[in-house]
Amino acid sequence: MKKIFRAAAAAAVTALALTACGGASSTDPSNVSPTGEIKAREISWLLSRPADGAVINIMKKLAEDYAKDHPGFELNLITTPDRPSYIQKLETLAAANKLPELFDTDATPFAQQLAKQGKMMDAEQLLKSLDIYDTYRPGALDYQRFDDGSLYMIPFQFELEFIWYNKALLEKAGVAVPASLDDIPAMCTALRSAGITPIAIDGQDQWPLERYIAYQPFREAGPEFVQELKKGEAKFSDPAGQKTVNWMAELGKAKCFQDGFSAQGYSDAQNQFTSGQAAMYNIGTWELPSLATDKLDPAVRNDIDFFTLPTTAGSATAANEFVSPSGIGMAVNAKTYDPLVSDFLKFALEKYPAEYAATGALSPTTDVETVVPANATPLYQKALDQADGLGSKQAMPWDTQLDPTTNGRLQQELVLLVQGNITPEQFTETMDKTIAQNAPKFFK
Amino acid sequence: MQPNRMLPNRSRTSVLVFLLPPLLLYGAAVLFPILQSLFLSFFSWNGISDMEFVGVDNYVRMFVADDIFWRAFLNALVYLAICLVLQLGGALVVASLLTSLRRGRELIKTLYLLPAVISTVAIAFLFVRIYSLEPVGLLNQLFHWVGLGSLERPWLSDVNTVLAAVSAPEGWRFTGLYMLIIYAALLAVPKELEEAAVLDGASRWTLFTKIRFPYIRPVWITTTIMATTYGLRGFDIPYLMTNGGPGQSSELLTTYMYKTAFTSTDFGYASTISVFIVVECLVAVGLILFLLKRKADA
Amino acid sequence: MITQTAPPTPPAAVVPARPSGKRRRRRPDLFRTLSRVLIMLIVIVQVYPLAWLFLTSLRTEQDFATGDPFALPSSLTWENYARAFETGDLGRNILNSFIVTMGANILIVLLGMMAAYAIQVLGFRLSKLVRGLFLIGIIVPVQIALVPLFIDYSAINLLDTYLSMIIPLAGFSLPMAIYLFCSFYEYIPKETYEAASLDGAGPYRIFGLITMPLSLNTVVTVVLVNSIFIWNDFIFANTFVLSEDLKTIPLGLQNYIGAMGKVDWTATFAAVCVTITPLLLVFLVLNKAMIQGLESGATKG
Repeated sequence: MKKIFRAAAAAAVTALALTACGGASSTDPSNVSPTGEIKAREISWLLSRPADGAVINIMKKLAEDYAKDHPGFELNLITTPDRPSYIQKLETLAAANKLPELFDTDATPFAQQLAKQGKMMDAEQLLKSLDIYDTYRPGALDYQRFDDGSLYMIPFQFELEFIWYNKALLEKAGVAVPASLDDIPAMCTALRSAGITPIAIDGQDQWPLERYIAYQPFREAGPEFVQELKKGEAKFSDPAGQKTVNWMAELGKAKCFQDGFSAQGYSDAQNQFTSGQAAMYNIGTWELPSLATDKLDPAVRNDIDFFTLPTTAGSATAANEFVSPSGIGMAVNAKTYDPLVSDFLKFALEKYPAEYAATGALSPTTDVETVVPANATPLYQKALDQADGLGSKQAMPWDTQLDPTTNGRLQQELVLLVQGNITPEQFTETMDKTIAQNAPKFFK
Repeated sequence: MQPNRMLPNRSRTSVLVFLLPPLLLYGAAVLFPILQSLFLSFFSWNGISDMEFVGVDNYVRMFVADDIFWRAFLNALVYLAICLVLQLGGALVVASLLTSLRRGRELIKTLYLLPAVISTVAIAFLFVRIYSLEPVGLLNQLFHWVGLGSLERPWLSDVNTVLAAVSAPEGWRFTGLYMLIIYAALLAVPKELEEAAVLDGASRWTLFTKIRFPYIRPVWITTTIMATTYGLRGFDIPYLMTNGGPGQSSELLTTYMYKTAFTSTDFGYASTISVFIVVECLVAVGLILFLLKRKADA
Repeated sequence: MITQTAPPTPPAAVVPARPSGKRRRRRPDLFRTLSRVLIMLIVIVQVYPLAWLFLTSLRTEQDFATGDPFALPSSLTWENYARAFETGDLGRNILNSFIVTMGANILIVLLGMMAAYAIQVLGFRLSKLVRGLFLIGIIVPVQIALVPLFIDYSAINLLDTYLSMIIPLAGFSLPMAIYLFCSFYEYIPKETYEAASLDGAGPYRIFGLITMPLSLNTVVTVVLVNSIFIWNDFIFANTFVLSEDLKTIPLGLQNYIGAMGKVDWTATFAAVCVTITPLLLVFLVLNKAMIQGLESGATKG
């Protein structure tokens, strides 16, 4: 028995050691134009996008077109729409060194480590070599960049996040659209006393609440705050940090969010807004088809409008600068990059924007015009127009910025803070401690 | 003494023939990964970097420096307790009631088992709505109707109620299964014993504690072990319903370990927590066997 | 407990008529009515979710979004089912789940019987140790095996196959099966074996002719209990399966998740209703056998 045990332990060591060391890739991540013959084969794209969504449908079609000239080519799309399950899958694949030709990731610290190890192609050089770099919206590319400005992911979307509101409900409570972020708590109090839920929020998915804590520092100190915060160079105990912590606590005290929001899901929150029960709802242009078309309940259709992220007094960023994400990006595996992958990407990325804009969505590039669907309300065009007047800075969602452990803790503590279970002081202390503990591991 | 050996003449080879295939599968699928985990628990590894040997650092961190770990451990115990009460207590009560029923037993037994076949995704979603306060869910509505309006609350957002609220669906799901097992055992209690006791003037309670329960004790031990281990392994429902929140109020060791591995990509530390869970489960089963068997002998 | 003060009323089905003694009082109905009511209440609690699930799958999206989720739907529609079949590949998902469930069950039952036979019937010096070793498997959480197994499977090219799901599912369910078979084999009287032995039957024939046929009811129990878990398994499938063709039901249900985590719930519920039907049917058919298995197992004690 002992012998078996020893043998098994030895085998375990070897198996793990083998994979842990076998990480080095053979390809140079900056060699974007490989020479050689294009040999058609099957390539895979591991992605986290809706199974029946525009991106997948278009890329499927483009891959079929490409296969007509390159028999034997096939694009195998492996989608895991649920983000946490996707991340688990991506990480296991990375750990086993089995990443496919193309894979989705945000500009997370984990992705940055992959890039550092030379596992992803340099997307900036790749796009430049395909001669399409300049067609991309700068904001769409910036969203994908790591802090050092390097670019390893290619965007397929471009979205703008607004605060949607119900004019009739605001009127009923006698409040106006907030001129400053600091007006929101008082606004919530007024709405509550009129018997209206101020803001519907999807608490279950965590990122919506995390958006709110990013707003004040973005206005107060600009986009640099979170970049410094995540490394422990800025702190929640700093003035900008304290401002947002206290603001979040005030939002909670004013009962801005629906009772029990922490367990409520995406569709529940949206339904509360679209059925006229909640006055405000913070969401991006990906919801245009349900918020700005005749799919919207006729009872509220004419009352819905949106405003962009309010500024504050002495704001470091302008009103036309807010959250404008380009979605999860696509990375190109350096190890499997060859003339075929390069040729296919050239083919697909050139044709993609026109097809995508035809579905009524904002393309990550500027060379195409979005087609407004026939059933759209005037709000649709108004929302799209915002994309043209954007400033140069954008508010980054914190969940892609912080190291994952800190991020997880922040999401948990934030709910407690807003619910009033912990004080702003406790929150500040816990979070600063957590960052100090975890940041060095990810940002050394 | 060889109490286990029932066949007087069997060859050594025959034992191996029967034993090796299951051991092989089990070794490959379960034991080997556990050993790998044990091995990993002494390293710091994020999946893509080089592995770095850190000795017992992970264990020190777990026992000394990690407040979430202890919180999750305590939560797991409470979660287990609630599941056990619902599953075993509920199963015992229902099974006892069922034996007094004349007709419709078969139908009811089947109906009881239904929740077990529904996927956890649907169950989690349903219970989120049942517990909801804004809009008012079923539970709060019920309290309102019976005049207990003061009890209305967002069950899953209240740090004091969330743990019980996520335990209940898990407990409820498998009550039917355990009920069935216990019911079968209760039916097997010889009727002569019961009748004799009844003639001696035993009350229902005595009848239960002195005749029925001792008789079903072996089955009871099995069910307890099953329920305990499934309870300690509980994962899906808390993960789907609250993801451990609000704060760490419904974080269990399993959800915490899963997050440590796949959110924080701290595979070394996650393995350390796994090792702890394995030990914890072993201790739990040992305790059950010790307590219930000793009682039987006494 | 209510039973404490109630008059002793043994199960009526068992003792239909007892000579009327002087201790017999006529007050049994309170207890019986009470237990009936209790049973009915619990039945409602147990059945309600399934009914709710089914009703919700028949609601229109609009009704689901705005109406009271617990009221009866204002109008019924099959549209969700149409959407469920259109978006996902439910047939294939069901087939895959079926293959995985069957494959795992065959392994579990066969290997479980063999191990229990070796441990309980044949017996050997280290049988206690082996039993303990298997016990570990009942109690470890499956999540711990994910990363190591993924690495091992990719090393031997087993990723993205039916086997990559079947092996861990079977491996982790094996201990409970062995445990159940062992408890059952304990009750097969030694004489049965001795008699067969005297007739010259070796261990293989005894296994095939005596032990296996006798275990039928336990087999049904093991299969049903495991099927419940395996049919709905998400974690192994999500980790080891990559291609669309191998997706099982829980993975298929993800097809209804849209942008940023927005779920098409009515279609999901329609899909859930479709996908639990096969399991439900098997369950209803085999339920009797399972109960018998448990009952006969318990009577042996």
